[in-house]
Amino acid sequence: MQIAIASGKGGVGKSSVAASLIYLLKDEYSLIAVDADADAPNLDLLFGVERWEEEKELIGAKVARINTSTCIRCGICAERCPYDCIKIVDGNYVVNELTCEGCGVCKLVCPVEGVITLEEVRSGIVRKTTTKYGFPLISAQLDVGRPNSGKLVTEEKEWAKRIMKEKGIEHMIVDSAAGIGCQVIASLGGADVAILVAEPTPASLSDVKRVYKVVQHFREPAYLIINKADLNPGFKGLYEFAEEEGIPIIGEIPYDRALPKSMVMLKPVVEVFPDSKASIVLKEIAEVVKEEILK
Amino acid sequence: MQIAVSGGKGGTGKSTVAINLAIALREYFDLALADLDVEAPNDHILLGVELQNEEPVHMFMPRFDYSKCIKCRKCAEVCEENAIITMRDGTPFLMPTLCSGCRACEIVCPVTGAILGGEKLMGHTYLTETPYGSPLVTGKLLEGEERAMPIVTAAKKRAKTLNKELLLVDTAAGTSNTVSKALEDSKLLIAVTEPTPLGLHDLTLILELAKLMGIEAWVVVNRADIGEKKRVEEIVQKYNAEIIGEIPYSEAIIQSYVKGEPIILTDKKEAKIFKGLAERVASYLG
Ligand code: SF4
Ligand code: SF4
Ligand code: SF4
Ligand code: SF4
Repeated sequence: MQIAIASGKGGVGKSSVAASLIYLLKDEYSLIAVDADADAPNLDLLFGVERWEEEKELIGAKVARINTSTCIRCGICAERCPYDCIKIVDGNYVVNELTCEGCGVCKLVCPVEGVITLEEVRSGIVRKTTTKYGFPLISAQLDVGRPNSGKLVTEEKEWAKRIMKEKGIEHMIVDSAAGIGCQVIASLGGADVAILVAEPTPASLSDVKRVYKVVQHFREPAYLIINKADLNPGFKGLYEFAEEEGIPIIGEIPYDRALPKSMVMLKPVVEVFPDSKASIVLKEIAEVVKEEILK
Repeated sequence: MQIAVSGGKGGTGKSTVAINLAIALREYFDLALADLDVEAPNDHILLGVELQNEEPVHMFMPRFDYSKCIKCRKCAEVCEENAIITMRDGTPFLMPTLCSGCRACEIVCPVTGAILGGEKLMGHTYLTETPYGSPLVTGKLLEGEERAMPIVTAAKKRAKTLNKELLLVDTAAGTSNTVSKALEDSKLLIAVTEPTPLGLHDLTLILELAKLMGIEAWVVVNRADIGEKKRVEEIVQKYNAEIIGEIPYSEAIIQSYVKGEPIILTDKKEAKIFKGLAERVASYLG
C-alpha cells in the first residue's frame, strides 16, 4: 500500500501530521517513509537522522554554456531561448545557469558550431537511512537553482520499492512536496490513497482544492485531515468542499502549541507530547488509518 | 526596479509579508505586486480580491503530420525531456506530459510541415486591481500540469509591461530554478523565516541562492518568539545578510490572514512592524 500525504502548499502542518502518523504506525506495520519534498526536506530532521547510510548523486540536469571566445555575438540564442535565460553581461552573451532548463534550443540555433555546449550537472542527491525508530527513510535534496523535476521523486520512490521488495516491507508513506507541480505529480502517481491536510483558511482551501484535482486525475481515494480546526470557527469552506466531493474527514486537530513546540524539538508531537490535545486526535486518526486504509 | 520576498517552506509568512509590505510601500513608490508562487498563489486571497483579467498561457507542443514525416528520428534524439518516442520504423509519438514546449524538435526537423505547432494550455496570468491602489499580477498553473516555468515567465513579463516604478515579487517556496526565475533582476531579496531548525535549513538555502545570484539579502524573522533566534543570527552573519525585522507570534495576524484583511490597514501594533520594514526598504532603494 502506498499512501501519499499532500496539502497543496506547505505550512499547514502536513509534515508534522505525516511524522506523527508514521510514528504511530511503525510498530504494528512494516513501512518505509519517503520524503518527497526535495526542495525543503524535513522528515529526516523530525526523525533525528544524523547520518545517511547511502547517498546517490542525481546527475541528469543539463545547463547550456557559451564559449565567449568563439561567440560572434549575433544574439540569436538569447532571442530563441524559451525561458529568457541568456543575457548580455559585460558585452558577452551568458547563460544564467540558475534558470536554464537545459532544453538545448540555444545550441541548435547558434550559427557557429561548438560555441554552445550542454553540460551535465548535478541536480541533487537521493539518500537513504534507517531511522532510530527502525523503519527506513528515503529523502532527497535538490541543489540550489536546479529544475525541480519529478525525476528526483521518481528516483526516491523506485529506491523505496527496491527496499520494500528486499526487506518484505508492505507500506510506503510519502510526504508529498508542496504545490501541485511535477514533484507532487510524481509523489501522487502510483499512490493507492491520498491523505490531504488543510487548515480552515481560504488560502489553504484553495490549495487543497488544487491538489485534489491532481488526486482525481489519478483516481485515488482521498481523505481529509483538518489541522488547527478550531482556529477559524466561522469558516465552513473545508467542510463544504469535503461534502461536495465526498471526501471523508478523518480528523480535526485542534490548534495546540504542542505542535510547533515539537517541531522546534525536532520530534513527532505524539512522541514528545503524547497527551496533548493534538496528539489525542492524531492517535484517533491513526486508528482510522489502520481500520479504513491499511485493513 | 524590482525586489522580492521569498523564504523557505510555505506557511512561514512569506505572503503575509509580501502583501503588507506592498501596501506599506505605496507611500513611497508607484508599484505592482506579482504573485509568482504559481502552484499555490494566495496573495489575492489575503488581499480579499477576486482574480481578474485572465489571460491564458499556452505552450508549444509538437503535432506530427505523418503524411510528411520521413521517420528520421531527429526530433526524438534532440528532445532533452525524452517526450518523443519512436516506433520501430521511426514513427514519432509525443508523450504530452513530458514535453516542455521548447521547440527543439521543430528546429531540427528536416521536413517543413512534418511538425505542426500545436498548443497546450498551461495556466493563466491575471491582472487584478486591488482596493489598495496597486495592481496585483498573479500566475496560476493549471492543475495536472507539471511545468511552472512558463507560467512564472509569462506572469513576470506581464508584470513588467505595467512599467511601475517598483515591482514587488512574491516567489514560491524553496530554491528551484523557478524561484531563481522569479528572483532574477531583483535588487533586494527579503527572506522570511521562522527561528526553528526547519526554518533555518531553508533559510540557509535561500541565502545561498541569493549569494549565487548576487542579490542583497535581508531577513525577516516570523514567529520570532518560538525557537532559537541565535542560530538565525549566526546564519545571517555567515551570508553577510541582515535581520531587518521580527514579527512575534500573533493571533491578530492569523485573524487578518483568515479574513483577507491586511493587518497593515488596521491600527493593531503589528501594523507598525510592516511600516517599519517599508521605511527601511524605501530608504535602501532611495
Ligand atoms: S538550454 Fe534552453 S533554457 Fe538553457 S539557455 Fe539554452 S535555450 Fe535557454
Ligand atoms: S547564437 Fe551562438 S554565436 Fe550567436 S550570440 Fe549566441 S552563442 Fe554567440
Ligand atoms: S517541444 Fe521540446 S520537449 Fe517538447 S517534444 Fe519538442 S523537443 Fe521535446
Ligand atoms: S524530425 Fe521530423 S521528419 Fe524526422 S521523425 Fe521527427 S517529425 Fe518526422
